[in-house]
Amino acid sequence: MINYFAGVDIGSTMTKVVIYGEGIRAMIIGPTGPEHRKLANKVMEEALIQAHLKFEDLSYIIATGYGRINVPFADRQVTEITCHAKGLHSLLPTVKTVVDIGGQDSKGIKIKDGRVVSFVMNDKCAAGTGRFIEIMADSLGVPLNDMGRLSLTADKPAMISSTCTVFAEHEVTNQLSGGETLPNLVAGIHESVATRVASLVKKLNIEPDVAITGGGAKNIGLVKALEKKLGCPVLIPPEPLITGALGAAILAKEIFEKYTKEGQVPERSKSGLQEAKFFD
Amino acid sequence: MAFFLGIDVGSGYTKAVVCEDTSLRSYSIIPSGGDYRKAALESSENALKKINISMSDISNTIATGYGAAIVDFARQTLSDISCHAIGINYLFPSVRTVIDIGAQYSRAIHLDSEGRIVNFIMNEKCAGGSGKFLQVTARILQMDIKDLGRLSLTSEKPVEFTTACAVFAESEAVSRISEGALPADIVAGIHKAMSSKIIVLATRVGLVPDYAVTGGGAKDIGLVRAIEKELKTNTFVAQEPQITAALGAAIFASSR
Repeated sequence: MINYFAGVDIGSTMTKVVIYGEGIRAMIIGPTGPEHRKLANKVMEEALIQAHLKFEDLSYIIATGYGRINVPFADRQVTEITCHAKGLHSLLPTVKTVVDIGGQDSKGIKIKDGRVVSFVMNDKCAAGTGRFIEIMADSLGVPLNDMGRLSLTADKPAMISSTCTVFAEHEVTNQLSGGETLPNLVAGIHESVATRVASLVKKLNIEPDVAITGGGAKNIGLVKALEKKLGCPVLIPPEPLITGALGAAILAKEIFEKYTKEGQVPERSKSGLQEAKFFD
Repeated sequence: MAFFLGIDVGSGYTKAVVCEDTSLRSYSIIPSGGDYRKAALESSENALKKINISMSDISNTIATGYGAAIVDFARQTLSDISCHAIGINYLFPSVRTVIDIGAQYSRAIHLDSEGRIVNFIMNEKCAGGSGKFLQVTARILQMDIKDLGRLSLTSEKPVEFTTACAVFAESEAVSRISEGALPADIVAGIHKAMSSKIIVLATRVGLVPDYAVTGGGAKDIGLVRAIEKELKTNTFVAQEPQITAALGAAIFASSR
């Protein structure tokens, strides 16, 4: 009999669920949205349908990410740093440094044998996060998914001098009306984010291999800009968004197995798969 | 008797002040828009027209602010920090710490008992404590920015924001609204987040009473009250706090 485990990663922008048995059984990525506190159960239901499993079939569930306390049915909460390291190590075992560019934060994590050695994080300022790119894409009228490819056609990336996202947005629209080309502006936006992220991650002693995860990894223009700033190639996992949820599911499996080995049963959450309630 | 003109070309608004000797006679505040020279000219003409005089009646003109260099009809430019100091010392001679909340920048200026600048600090990297934050808030609540202050004062339970970043606060506010938080509590929470950020800035120049709040941000009574709460004391706010630097420029013009 196979035991199944789940990892739920509630990010600021996207919610990810991975169901893990012997290998990944289901993988769901959906927008977190403003109602994220009610969302976890819906995404979990979808994942269970994809895996052809019932909620009762899951032996242990770990929640992670920014919204991890809002997953009442999770048996345990673990920080996204730990889960990221665990998930990434299972996908790309040679990686020692992870750069994660999420919707509302960016991080650098040093890994050894799937464990966190040290980390740095920016969640105080939107510059250097996915939100910066999202806002610029919006004000330039370029679909977020097209930003990467568009920037690769730039001949000279535009110089964006403002750090703050709010000020940079003005600067970018001014430059656009001043005649700067879209590809150059988009490339400049990626350089700005890459500069911020690189200066954050360089606080760690960067060792190869380096991998990039999070939504930022899906933007080829940003990845190229980051490689330039870091001065080394970066690896991209096949699905860079699910690293944290995968790590949470693997960790769930490890915890469960540790208990069973000792002839014990881990304590489970008493909440079923229902909406989290607030302001009660 | 002679007339003097002070023009403050800010990133958001352009302010012109006309003084007769050292008495404030008229002023005008208009959005700076994209053409700073035009804004400077227009606001000056507005202020002059109000007291039926023309540019030829002006004995001296001083320009200040973000776009001061472009005001080619000014005899001289002076930094906005200096103009602020002169303006505030003219209005409230006892003030030693000025907190200026502009459209894009916030500043703190420490003055000595003679009104001379001891130290100042400016935040130009982050919109966190600037008027921009108020604009963002007004937009998501679909309110006029002028109404934020009074609404804030009706709040009984300000929302606790976990961030001082204008961008993150926007998404946090949207989340809280969808969970049923009241607009008044959102605005009060934003004012609290802004004032903490501003106080951090002011602490770095030394918190010496008396205090004045200037700039467009001083027109938001909710923000001023939040700052006063952090300072645990009252602050001076001029009847028209947005013209402090332009007034300082006009007073300086009269001294040349």
